[in-house]
Amino acid sequence: MNRSLQSLAWLLVFAALAMLPQVLTVKYYLHLSILALIWVIMAQGQNLIQGYTGYVSIVGAGFMGIGAYSSTLIGMHFQWPIWATMAAAPLVTALFALATGYPSLRVKGHYFAIVTLAFNLIIVIVLVNYKELTNGETGISNIPKPWGGSRDAYFYLVLMLAAAMTALAALIARSRVGEILLAIRQNEDLVGSIGIAAWKYKLFAFVISAMYAGLAGALYAHFQSFINPEIFGVAQSLDAILAVILGGSGTIAGPVIGAFLVVFLPEMLRFADSFRLILYGLILVLATIFMPIGIVGVCKALIGRFSRKEAAS
Amino acid sequence: MSSRTITGAVAALTIALTASSGFAAEKKLTIGVADALTGGGAVYGLPQANAVKMAADEINAAGGIKVGSDNYKIDVIAYDDKANPTEATNAVRKLIDRDGVKYILGFCCSGSTSAVASFIGNEKAVMLVGNAAERSITTKKIPNLVRTRPPADYTGQAAGTFIARKGHKRIAVLGALDVGFYAQYVDAVEREVKKTGGEIIAREVFSLRDRDMTPQLTKIRGLNPDAILVVGYVEPAAFVYRQAVELGMNIPRYGFTSGSEEQFLRVTTSEQMEGVWDLRPTELTLLSATKNGIAYHANYTKKYNASPSPSSPYAYDQLYVLKAAIEAAGTVDDTVVVAKAIRGLPVPPQVVMQYQPVDGKMFDVNGQAYTSNGAFQWQKGKWVFVEDLPSDSKAYSQFLSTLN
Repeated sequence: MNRSLQSLAWLLVFAALAMLPQVLTVKYYLHLSILALIWVIMAQGQNLIQGYTGYVSIVGAGFMGIGAYSSTLIGMHFQWPIWATMAAAPLVTALFALATGYPSLRVKGHYFAIVTLAFNLIIVIVLVNYKELTNGETGISNIPKPWGGSRDAYFYLVLMLAAAMTALAALIARSRVGEILLAIRQNEDLVGSIGIAAWKYKLFAFVISAMYAGLAGALYAHFQSFINPEIFGVAQSLDAILAVILGGSGTIAGPVIGAFLVVFLPEMLRFADSFRLILYGLILVLATIFMPIGIVGVCKALIGRFSRKEAAS
Repeated sequence: MSSRTITGAVAALTIALTASSGFAAEKKLTIGVADALTGGGAVYGLPQANAVKMAADEINAAGGIKVGSDNYKIDVIAYDDKANPTEATNAVRKLIDRDGVKYILGFCCSGSTSAVASFIGNEKAVMLVGNAAERSITTKKIPNLVRTRPPADYTGQAAGTFIARKGHKRIAVLGALDVGFYAQYVDAVEREVKKTGGEIIAREVFSLRDRDMTPQLTKIRGLNPDAILVVGYVEPAAFVYRQAVELGMNIPRYGFTSGSEEQFLRVTTSEQMEGVWDLRPTELTLLSATKNGIAYHANYTKKYNASPSPSSPYAYDQLYVLKAAIEAAGTVDDTVVVAKAIRGLPVPPQVVMQYQPVDGKMFDVNGQAYTSNGAFQWQKGKWVFVEDLPSDSKAYSQFLSTLN
């Protein structure tokens, strides 16, 4: 697909999403759409480190938690307006990511995944036990919502931010930095051998990924109005990884599709009662086995095959 | 079609309409349940959902809820919230936004309940909380939220007095202390035992998914305590009781778990449980049960082929509270009026738990109900109700009103 067609497709998707508050008569779907858009931001960040750089990070939800708690606590203790706390959240998360990324990125492959998994566990343990600050497992309620809690308005805010963060991810992916990230994924030793300090780029991807998660966390906190440590556990980090894999790793459209899937699929399966999670797990396993390149990858392959057939005829 | 046939059909329809106008119109009232139907919280959530369905069947069989000339038959929709805050919010949003439900029952677990409580005040709905014991759920003065289970520290205070009276001075705690309401229970126990010169000498933690507690128990054994206090979900607590015996710890074991015999016996043997105390609200056990409780136990066992968990009547009672409130309010549509009617109710005669009314009402100004607290002991395969624990619901209610 050429660039203008791609832009047109994105515009159509954006326009279709922008119409949702008018089209959806059942606001429950709007609620899920807002969550899905928050997950789009989360998944786009995850894709930068996982899809483009080839490092599977299992600390996404932990960083989301840092964003959520920092936005909430700054607002509570310093009376900053919501907009300022939301803007501060990714910056606070970036500081944590810098501190954790530097040692984490000294290891590769599975070891990196395990180190980040440990960081996620530590973040949750701190959130649970530092009760004076976080209120522990009880969590924090009544987090202020902008616009008096209007879901329509919040939807547009999240839509704009998801679109902006997707555009930023696309910019990064198409820049020289993005090319180096891809090169690191392909052959990190080769990147080093031509004089590029790969660690700087890996750290960049890790910190940017954390900033995306921090923003997603802040948006989540001010949407749900309640946070506790359970929301930011390893299971949610795995959801972020799944969103990238299901949609299509290393693509821009993939995390968007994947994010909607991880939010909507479990809800759509509620009809299955206690078999819901079994069914959800089964779908994920089958999708990962039969579509390792994700939905976007499968679509691209089909389009490619169709174009070749047409060219041959 | 001949004109005679048409005339006959019209006549029959007219007769049918005329005849039906003499009876009350039958309508449907959909009630939502959001609870942990899967996962770790399901030991509490699933029996609660079953209890609501059973209460609905009973009410329907008895004619439904009477509002003016209308009879409402109850239809129950139950969604799994996995005791997870996000899932609970999604489930309740689905009930309110898509299914048009105005009355939501269940809520066994504190994290998920707190998440819903944070927005329910803005909804045209009424939320009745069951087993979730976190104190802060009823400190926010949310007008459309009430809870049938008393907060954990209300029970902890009574438990502490009981433990102190037994003469124990050095008590070791092992529990899910990262869960807020369990920590509140232990804090209340500590305040009471300190009054008689006692102390908590260890606070060891297990998580809800832990199954091997021997490291914590070995450490506690080394401290040589007078007694051990176990607070947490049924399964991990059962492992603690079992492993304490396996490690040869022959000291009194107290707990705060609210598990049924059946739930404990999945993990441990009756011999290993012998002598264990459970210090909790006077929930359902046959020896402590009223006539309603005995009937509830029999009906539940017959319907679901399993014993009800002791805490499940909190949800059963919710539906009878709702029925009484709707009938008193004379409306199913105006949730503000129904919520107000709930706060003004005396204890309905059909409830199973033994509530202690405050100023003659089942719920206090915070929307909180109180049961008596009881000391239960495991004796020969059964929880035996031994005695009531001293509990002052009015004093606690006043204390609760001072919190934000």
